[in-house]
Amino acid sequence: MSLLKKLFKPFLIVAPYVLRNSQTVAYPDERLVFAERFRGRHKLHFDRCIGCGTCARVCPDNSIVLVEAEGHEGKYPQIDYGTCSLCGYCVEFCPKAALEFTDLVEFSTRDASELVYSPERLAEVPSIKEVVPRLKRRIEPYLTKTEMKYRKVEDL
Amino acid sequence: MTEPEIKPDIMRISWGPQHPMSGQTRILLDVDGEKVHRIIADLGFTHRGIEKILENRTFLKGIIPIERMVMVDTANIGLGYVLAIEEALGVEVPERANWIRSMLCEMTRINSHLYAFGLQAEATGYFPAVFLWTTIDREVLLDLMEKLTGARWSYNFFLPGGVHHDLPEGFQEEVLEGVDYLRRRFQQYWDAMVENATFEMRCKGVAVLKKEDAIRLGATGPVLRGSGVDMDVRKDEPYAAYGDLDFKVITETAGDSMARLKVRFHEIEQSLNIIEQVANEIPGGPVKTRVPLFARAKPGEVFSRVETPRGEMGIHLFTDGGMNPYRVKINSPTLRNMYVFERLAELDEILVADLTVVINSIDPWYLDSDR
Amino acid sequence: MFTTLWNWLVNALFGLPGAIWRFAVGFLTWLPGALLRLPGWLWRFLWINFKPLMQILILPGLAFILVFAIIAVWFERKFLARAMLRVGPYYCGKRAGLLQVFADFLKLFMKEIIIPYDAERAFFTMMPVLVPTLPALALVLIPFDQNWVLFDAGSLSLPMFFAIAGLAPLIPIFTGWAANNKYTAIGGFRVAFLYISAEIPLVICAAAVAIMAGSFDLVKIVEAQRDMWFAVPQFIGFVIFFLGVIIEAERTPFDVPTAETELVLGWRTEFSGILFGFTMMAEYVAFQAWALLFITLYLGGFNGPDIFGSTMYSHIFWLLLKFAILVPIIILLRCVFPRLRLDQTLRLGWYYLTPLAVLNLFIVLALKLWGVA
Repeated sequence: MSLLKKLFKPFLIVAPYVLRNSQTVAYPDERLVFAERFRGRHKLHFDRCIGCGTCARVCPDNSIVLVEAEGHEGKYPQIDYGTCSLCGYCVEFCPKAALEFTDLVEFSTRDASELVYSPERLAEVPSIKEVVPRLKRRIEPYLTKTEMKYRKVEDL
Repeated sequence: MTEPEIKPDIMRISWGPQHPMSGQTRILLDVDGEKVHRIIADLGFTHRGIEKILENRTFLKGIIPIERMVMVDTANIGLGYVLAIEEALGVEVPERANWIRSMLCEMTRINSHLYAFGLQAEATGYFPAVFLWTTIDREVLLDLMEKLTGARWSYNFFLPGGVHHDLPEGFQEEVLEGVDYLRRRFQQYWDAMVENATFEMRCKGVAVLKKEDAIRLGATGPVLRGSGVDMDVRKDEPYAAYGDLDFKVITETAGDSMARLKVRFHEIEQSLNIIEQVANEIPGGPVKTRVPLFARAKPGEVFSRVETPRGEMGIHLFTDGGMNPYRVKINSPTLRNMYVFERLAELDEILVADLTVVINSIDPWYLDSDR
Repeated sequence: MFTTLWNWLVNALFGLPGAIWRFAVGFLTWLPGALLRLPGWLWRFLWINFKPLMQILILPGLAFILVFAIIAVWFERKFLARAMLRVGPYYCGKRAGLLQVFADFLKLFMKEIIIPYDAERAFFTMMPVLVPTLPALALVLIPFDQNWVLFDAGSLSLPMFFAIAGLAPLIPIFTGWAANNKYTAIGGFRVAFLYISAEIPLVICAAAVAIMAGSFDLVKIVEAQRDMWFAVPQFIGFVIFFLGVIIEAERTPFDVPTAETELVLGWRTEFSGILFGFTMMAEYVAFQAWALLFITLYLGGFNGPDIFGSTMYSHIFWLLLKFAILVPIIILLRCVFPRLRLDQTLRLGWYYLTPLAVLNLFIVLALKLWGVA
């Protein structure tokens, strides 16, 4: 009676799903812990940058322009996140490792001109609690035999 | 576009871009009651001019726009372009890099097939339960790829000359754990969804594509393999370590929507086997050879093919000695399958009610066909 | 003179609150007396008809239907969200989404009712009111206890249910036609196809139940199931009626008219605002009516052991318990099976269900003839 099997087996498999945890991340109360290599917002190190311009030349979207920065001599990169595709070339091909990635992705603003990050703004990276004030904990996924669950990594 | 004339007694319905289940394209249907007489696909809604964009980018920079052709399997398409560039520049790739490339390509293949499976289940009128479960299972793969490459879908991991980074610490164990988990989940999918009485009623015998027609019309990918033709670029012209890996090419003989779905399903299994092999047997060595950032290629033309989850994609690259390519012509799988889709109305009787099932069994991605 | 005028003014001003106070006290002391002295016929009428009034207003009448519709919408969204491994309504109402249904209902009230230019205005605005009313009319026949039937039609109750429910396909046809839209008319016709193909097996199965119980009265049918539910000897009829409930309530896997046609919602497409809210509610009212009939015919109705001390409360409790177990199963089916095409549904109704229903009738006749049941 394969027809009966095809009618009842799906029901018996699906019914226990109701008792499982929901696999959603309750942002902004929770936030995932991203991988180490995660490509988020950039961070600029003023002391390492020599102003060679490799990042500007290698950027595929022409998002980097070298400008003057306050309090520092020479020219430093300014990144326009309106066109930046977070590809990672500037980080990888910088000869002095002056640009690196953080894990912030909260770029949203009300004014598109605020998306152009000046070198000073690139250099200081706010903590995650300042950017998302409602955040309560960081979670990470882990696999059990039947489902993927989230466990708490740290409280904030 | 100039539309053909409407015959009397036939109603022309425009299944336009604003339809919930049509995707981002416009399809004109000539309908007589329930039966569809003729399908005219009006593509081009999402044309972005990628081929022209690539003419203004250097080889290294050009990998970024071409990856955005299909969002669920960026790795395979990026690999196609990178293979063409490497052949034009004459670059040797170390073996470890090839194995890592295969692993990432197979992970994206699973990703894309899960997405297609969820969409087809949703097209049969399933409440989006299956689509959400496949989305959750894709999370496992996306987390793995995030650990490896740093991004969830726009990996930008391939470089002319190898890959950007090596495998991180402890990656092999995590990969094996993920593969194990996915194998258990697929057993559940098979029992609950594919062997489901109503799902079979909706998908079996719908839009049968016979073997001769598939070859004559130029189908590709699971559409071709679902009709019994044994063609797969990974076996015919192996690239990136597929020559060393052990896997089967899945074919089914029925040629209907269910057969195409089963091809995708079993291909996921084969991909899992490949990933396991790579995780266990990957050789050591460097992962990239040094290629100048703004390299120039000798004038000439290069053709490279890869097997994306939707079919075979070809990239024809013309170089003229500069830093940018002279012309890039992309032969996308969805465009060829859409041609087959148009002819399906003449080959087999399609009802309007089955249209969503048929479209999603072909698995089009319209950004791929419109480029 | 000025002093008297001044005194009068001061007295009036300061006495104003006092005057108001005295007026209020006088009114409140007069009110109960006047109420009790209201026409005696009004009080006698309320006292004599207290039980029917309770039935009409609370159970199984207005409050029961509305509360079930509200709970069912919330429950369906949460339950199916759980089956899909997500959360469902979350923010409206203390993290459980309890007020989400009210929020949606209020939103529907506030929306503008758009009537198409060429539509038949009278039909268009009147039909959505009828859509939940007809199944509610059928609901009044269900017995919650031997003495708690809203309309005790005696031995006519089972045929009357089918008579009222048989009017149900007319309304989508009228509505689809009234909206003056090709696609809604087609949607209405499809609903008619669906309902007609489902009604015939259901009527045959109900006839088999009535034969086994020996009467058409719903109360007597329930009493005849005191020893054994009719689901056991009439297993085929049980399955057919179960499928019939899902078809009549237009739920997946048989919700062909709702989501199948080229256009969005079939015959309901052109409605907006509270008219749309009525059609949404109608789905749950129809579901309720048919599910309760199913329980009455096959699952023993209100029978059950006595736990509250008084049989009436126990009976009501058992009926509601069986209902509460049946509803999640039918809702979960939406997550398990995809939707059938129209021709597949009609084939199911005509080729498979009708012969099986006739077979069921023969089995019952045979059992009755051999004196087994």
